[in-house]
Amino acid sequence: MTITLNLNGKPTDLDVKTNYTLQEALQFKLGLTGAKHMCNKGVCGSCTVIKDGRAVLSCQILAVECDGSTVETVEGIAAQPKWKPLLDAYCKWDAMQCGYCTPGFVVSAKALLDSNPHPTEDECKEALAGNICICGTYPRHAQAILDAALVMND
Amino acid sequence: MLRSFEHKNAKSVNEAAGVLELGNAALIAGGTDLLGTLKDNILPDYPGTIVNIKTIPGLEYIKEENGTLKIGALTKLADIAASPTVQRKYTALAQAAKAVATPHLRDMGTIGGNIAQLPRCWYFRKSDNRFPCLRKGGTECFAATGENRYHSILGGWKTETSQCTAACPAGTDIPKYLSQIRAGDMDGAAETIMKVNPMPMLTSRVCAHFCQQECNRCQKDEGVQSGATERVVGDYILANADKFYKAPAKETGKTIAIIGAGPAGMSAAFYLRKAGNKVVIYDTKPEAGGMLRYAIPAYRLPKDLVAKFASLLEKMGIEFKLGAKIGDEIKPSDLEKNYDAVLYATGAWKRPVLGFSGEDLAIFGLDFLVEVKNWMDGKVGQEVVVMGGGNVAMDVAVTAKRLGAKKVKLTCLETRDKMPASGEEVARAIEEGIEIDPGWGLSQVVSENGKIVGLEVKRCLSTVDASGRFNPQYDENDKKVLTGENILLATGQGIDLSYLDEKYQIQLNRGRIVTDEDSNETSRPGVFGAGDVVNGPATVIGSVASGHKSANGISRYLGVDYFSYANASNKEYVFFDTEGTKNPIGLKLKELDAAARAVDKEDSMTPELSEGVTEAKRCLNCACYAVNPSDTAPALIALDAKIVTNHRTLAAEELFDVNEPSNTVLGKDEIITEIQIPQPPAGSKSAFTKLALRKSIDFPVVNVAVLVGVEKPRIALNAIAPKPYRSLKAEAVLAGKTIDEATATAAGEAAVADIQPLAATKYKAQIAKTLLKRTLLGTTE
Repeated sequence: MTITLNLNGKPTDLDVKTNYTLQEALQFKLGLTGAKHMCNKGVCGSCTVIKDGRAVLSCQILAVECDGSTVETVEGIAAQPKWKPLLDAYCKWDAMQCGYCTPGFVVSAKALLDSNPHPTEDECKEALAGNICICGTYPRHAQAILDAALVMND
Repeated sequence: MLRSFEHKNAKSVNEAAGVLELGNAALIAGGTDLLGTLKDNILPDYPGTIVNIKTIPGLEYIKEENGTLKIGALTKLADIAASPTVQRKYTALAQAAKAVATPHLRDMGTIGGNIAQLPRCWYFRKSDNRFPCLRKGGTECFAATGENRYHSILGGWKTETSQCTAACPAGTDIPKYLSQIRAGDMDGAAETIMKVNPMPMLTSRVCAHFCQQECNRCQKDEGVQSGATERVVGDYILANADKFYKAPAKETGKTIAIIGAGPAGMSAAFYLRKAGNKVVIYDTKPEAGGMLRYAIPAYRLPKDLVAKFASLLEKMGIEFKLGAKIGDEIKPSDLEKNYDAVLYATGAWKRPVLGFSGEDLAIFGLDFLVEVKNWMDGKVGQEVVVMGGGNVAMDVAVTAKRLGAKKVKLTCLETRDKMPASGEEVARAIEEGIEIDPGWGLSQVVSENGKIVGLEVKRCLSTVDASGRFNPQYDENDKKVLTGENILLATGQGIDLSYLDEKYQIQLNRGRIVTDEDSNETSRPGVFGAGDVVNGPATVIGSVASGHKSANGISRYLGVDYFSYANASNKEYVFFDTEGTKNPIGLKLKELDAAARAVDKEDSMTPELSEGVTEAKRCLNCACYAVNPSDTAPALIALDAKIVTNHRTLAAEELFDVNEPSNTVLGKDEIITEIQIPQPPAGSKSAFTKLALRKSIDFPVVNVAVLVGVEKPRIALNAIAPKPYRSLKAEAVLAGKTIDEATATAAGEAAVADIQPLAATKYKAQIAKTLLKRTLLGTTE
């Protein structure tokens, strides 16, 4: 069946099967690989997208249930100059190692800054509590977000 | 990737319920539990339809109305956690919602889904239904003796009747009486058995013990030897008979005639007399007991035990009229006139006509058993051929051998693996030197000059036809002669109804009395049937059950109270002995040496009580030992919430259950729509704390929610039992007290007073105790 998303600011029609998750629809139908097909059971956060303003796990949502939703992926965030400071801060603080989980972290961070432009370190940690990094880069993420917030609020 | 399914967006609760009602459908809200379950193929069935309820308008809200907080079932946990109202007045719920999983999952998951989520037990969750446990239609709990460090400390919960109980024709609650034996409550164990079987001292010795074959332990070592434990209880009952066979305190004034003093008749008599009825048992034989007295050899069932049991019934006030001429002097029509109800339990004693050449030369095995002593005179040293593959045939063969037959050969239609006799009976026969030569059918008796010299048999190719009906097929070209001077037939028994005179109209079917399935009432009002005369030749325990059913039916017919021992709800926590269950070897009855065995001496000896206790400790008390993993559930219980569904309103405590596979009492088409919480009184405080191995994305090892500063404090813990656990003991400790170090510690102790941890869960008790103490002390800060 066909669903319509407001995807990264653009109305997008997608022909999906009922058993597709949102992550699968984005990857298979649009070639968007930012939301990763990783644990696929709602544990690791690598598939995080922002749906209707909330950072959620695209692997645990049926695509057919997203008809009419607004969805943002890391590709859309990366394409906006407004969010360049966040990506720059991630690079500056080297808040990644292998990089596979990073898109999920960045999307969670963006959702946090959307609702809370001046987060504390604890609030940053809490917002990222659903993202897992097997390389163990955790301490750097809050630094990167706090840094980005400073630049963006400047 | 998910397997395909049909997807429906419901517009209303009714519409969603309608889809669920059709079956093969699953409901999706946040989807965080469901999609994982489906991706891993955890359950035996995969839904054909998924019905989305997020499209139902008006189920997502948090509002206060008339002193009650109302939360729509689709409200996301993140919104509940962030609600200033919830945080301020219903603190425990806000804290619990905040403790669930991760921020992402809280932004997806709903309160309705959180309380209805499935167990997290790793055996339950193993992909592709690798462990079909009893939450998934199986019969065992793999965690009970497996990896169980996240499991219960308060026992298990049965989803349905255990296998062993289901296999017992009388429905004896075997796990229950074994747990009573373990607890040293022999009187309780006796009552549990006698609830369905008044003669365990007899049945334990002769029963086929279907229960033992169904024991889950059989899959790994030896099944629990419930025959042996029943015998320990049976002999305990005999030794303390005054306690268990009391005359009733009150008489009903009703009179009942029972025809037949066998297991069915005596069983019915016991229950009817217990309830205060006057019971008279008639039997044509000079002694009571029926098949128990006359057909089952004394080496299996000593006759003094049967006589003792009958005398106990007499002491209860049951009258025996033995040597009665039923159908002759005592006519059915007179019985009906003279008694308020009549029960026919006359058994199956008749020799069947098989129709083969020389049949009249052969002896009916049952007659042989009844007349065994006289019959054997002068026949010692001869060869005997027994035809039949059931337990009676084994009795006949062994008895003949013990009486001095030179050689006993036994043959039957069935192949060795299909013989109807129980394994232990066949083993006994083989041990005693009976030659078993299965797979042959009767052809003719071979005689010379009127003297039997053998039995000609023909190869039996199959005993049943394609439709499963008994229809033996033979190879007429494959014959042989089994030599022997005596031929004993144990190929079944017929039912003799000649005592019912022609004018006495009662509905029969293929020579059996037809009775109502629930009451055992015959086509004549007030006339009942029980045992073999109704069901055809079957087991002793089957007759006991049938007699019990008749007693129930007669009570209803007469409008008198039906006697029943106090029936404790079987919905209760059950336990097993974590050490005792490690014992792989079942209790064997001590038996006389083969050389010392005789026809009139019991082969086996009753085990010591201590041996019975050891065996009882081997019972796994098959139940689910997984815990309820919800964080919000204990908060809702502590806050005395109500759960509203499309069908009813439940107290939060009543919502939770242990089903296949659900954690709630919700029906097939039942949907949670709203949570209602009464506003706690001013000055009260509620709080929730959780201990998990990881701060994020983890289920609780233990969590606890409290409501204090009220007249009646409420305390609920979760993840320590199959259902959220409300600790009434801890609440009692705190009632009317100020919370301080001492009272908080005492409450913690009280909360774990009733624990019975599994092998690896004891540590949780310490956590539960400390967590509760800290939570309570936290409310004073």
